[in-house]
Amino acid sequence: MSMKEQIKVALTGNPNSGKTTLFNAITGRIEQVGNWAGVTIEKKEGDIKKGLNKSNVQITAVDLPGAYSMSPFTSEESITSGFVRNENPDVIINIVDSTNLSRSLFFTTQLLELEIPVVVALNKCDLSKKKATNIDVDSLSKLLGCPVVETVSTKGNNNGLEDLISTVVEVTGKTQTAPFDSKGVNMADQKSVEASDKKRYEFVKEIVSKVEERKVISSKQTKQDAVDRVLAHKWLGIPIFALVMWVVFSISQAHLGPLLADTFVGWIDSFYAWVEGSLGDGVSPVLSSILLDGIIGGVGAVVGFLPLIMVLFFLLALLEDCGYMARVAVVMDRFFKKVGLSGKSIIPMIVGIGCSIPGVMSTRTIKNERQRRTTAMLTPFMPCGAKLPVIALFAGVFFNDAAWVGVTMYFVGIAIIILGALLVVRITGEKNARSFFIMELPEYRFPSIKRAAVSMLSRGKAFIIKAGTIILLCNAAVHIMQTFNWQFQAVAEGAENTSILASMASPFAIILVPLGFGAWQLAAAAITGFIAKENVVGTLAVVYGITNFIDTEELALVSGSADVAQIMGLTSVAALAYLMFNLFTPPCFAAIGAMNSEMENKKWLWGGIAFQFGMGYVVAFMTYQIGTMITTGALGSGFIPGLVAVALMIGYVVYLVRKGDEVAKRKVALSS
Amino acid sequence: MSDIIVILVILAIVSASITKIVIEKKKGTKCIGCPAGGTSKNTCGCNTHK
Repeated sequence: MSMKEQIKVALTGNPNSGKTTLFNAITGRIEQVGNWAGVTIEKKEGDIKKGLNKSNVQITAVDLPGAYSMSPFTSEESITSGFVRNENPDVIINIVDSTNLSRSLFFTTQLLELEIPVVVALNKCDLSKKKATNIDVDSLSKLLGCPVVETVSTKGNNNGLEDLISTVVEVTGKTQTAPFDSKGVNMADQKSVEASDKKRYEFVKEIVSKVEERKVISSKQTKQDAVDRVLAHKWLGIPIFALVMWVVFSISQAHLGPLLADTFVGWIDSFYAWVEGSLGDGVSPVLSSILLDGIIGGVGAVVGFLPLIMVLFFLLALLEDCGYMARVAVVMDRFFKKVGLSGKSIIPMIVGIGCSIPGVMSTRTIKNERQRRTTAMLTPFMPCGAKLPVIALFAGVFFNDAAWVGVTMYFVGIAIIILGALLVVRITGEKNARSFFIMELPEYRFPSIKRAAVSMLSRGKAFIIKAGTIILLCNAAVHIMQTFNWQFQAVAEGAENTSILASMASPFAIILVPLGFGAWQLAAAAITGFIAKENVVGTLAVVYGITNFIDTEELALVSGSADVAQIMGLTSVAALAYLMFNLFTPPCFAAIGAMNSEMENKKWLWGGIAFQFGMGYVVAFMTYQIGTMITTGALGSGFIPGLVAVALMIGYVVYLVRKGDEVAKRKVALSS
Repeated sequence: MSDIIVILVILAIVSASITKIVIEKKKGTKCIGCPAGGTSKNTCGCNTHK
């Protein structure tokens, strides 16, 4: 055996077998994991930790997306099969879910045929032992013709990972034999392939019958099935989800979050006061204002919401880890199927709650082109992490920290997604298309505090980096543009509407009058929101001269909320309309870039952006005008021009839908 | 003199932010400060096969 100095190990296995958790455990990296299938969509590389690798060989692990077989069905499966076939890894670690041996070994037997040494990591052994399932590891190893190591990648110690790595080093350079050989099969002949697959299934079944002893029969109803009948119930599922989200928002936005934010903002205030004191009176007021109000105040106003966001993401990570979010996907599938979306579309949308970009990127797991593009277009309607400070700010200032504001935004987002999908399926003339979705539900498990904390900290770190880079620069630019006029003279106090910023934002503000927020300051904040949504909060802080939105004295989310509301000059209804406008118009430019790469079609991209603008405008218009009518008995300002604009948009969509219906009719006529 | 110091401080902060953005962009990150929102050097970005 010739030992190399550096070897490459491919991590392969079925979706949700724990590949990325194992990858993180052996490399020390923090890649996103989730308790459902299809979280990993790209390959990722990392070196094995020194503590696990006792040899002198440098081992690089490559985490690959989950695959059920070497015949790729989805794009991420093709990444996996393409890598193991073409990149010649030195060893393959095949992660096998020990709770589902019969399904996992089909892929294992295919990997063994590649003549690359394979080590089977029999993962989730703790779960199979809990279910009183015994697997004879030695017999399995003999029958497969490769080493089998028991692992529990979620455990910190005694997890079998050291054994796994030393086994990898041992088998490097050895030749691999295959217990099931399909080399003679003509891969171009469908029937031969199917016959071979059938034989392979029989072979796997035989192995499983020899090595596995189950106390709990899969077909028997378990406690988990009983819980699923309630949580994933077709009618109860939605109110349960609403209740869960309400609890999450109550804790993060009204109780624990503000409590932590209070201390945190106290530090920011102290820092602000220290810098202010250090500057003294000798510094030019313009310079001092740029540093204090533009940079420290603007960034501080956004960063002040960090504890709320971290608490929210901690709770969402717990929900995801225990397996609940996968049930939400099942509940939503009913509705999505009816509007022509794939059940798989829910996964990008759940990922999009964290950040729209990975959400949009994960649409590539959807094979159908229209469904993929529609999902990429609609995913940004799920309020992402960047929009949370905006929600928290408006819920605090105008609605007394009410948890219903945040929950409502998510449900309005879901309603828009369903409506959008319905329109797209009609416009594209595919209203008769049917989709089917089979999702493997992960087992319920006690959520890991560690994994949730890691997820929360990584998001917190990302938030601080964003605040210190893009948001800081934007706030500084906004403050400079607000301080100076086009002759680059400092504008007098009270004459800010002569500033560069005011003159740039004012034309946009006119368009926003029918929505209830025609002030240039609010228009400027909405525009900077396209760079990063947190900028809405930062810009409002800068243009209104509010240094923080969290009261350190009164333990309230917003300092003097009535004063802040008065400064902004918004009614509660207009504030709700403004919040919806910011949430449901196009996402940040980076997310639009992700839409562009996943849609791969300019017509779809621009159509999607126009739809997002139109939807945000219509929703804000209806919220403001109907809300004003209910609360005051009169219509809001700019009703007629707003109605004309909305009618034109709706009219154009109706025209496109009718055209699409004609196409659908022709398709039916052709097929019959 | 104190004005110059403040200008230098502002320039230092702004330069540090720009430098960080440039470094991240060179690494291929699509969204700076977005969790899992970028394409790092360790990911292949191999999304061409649809």
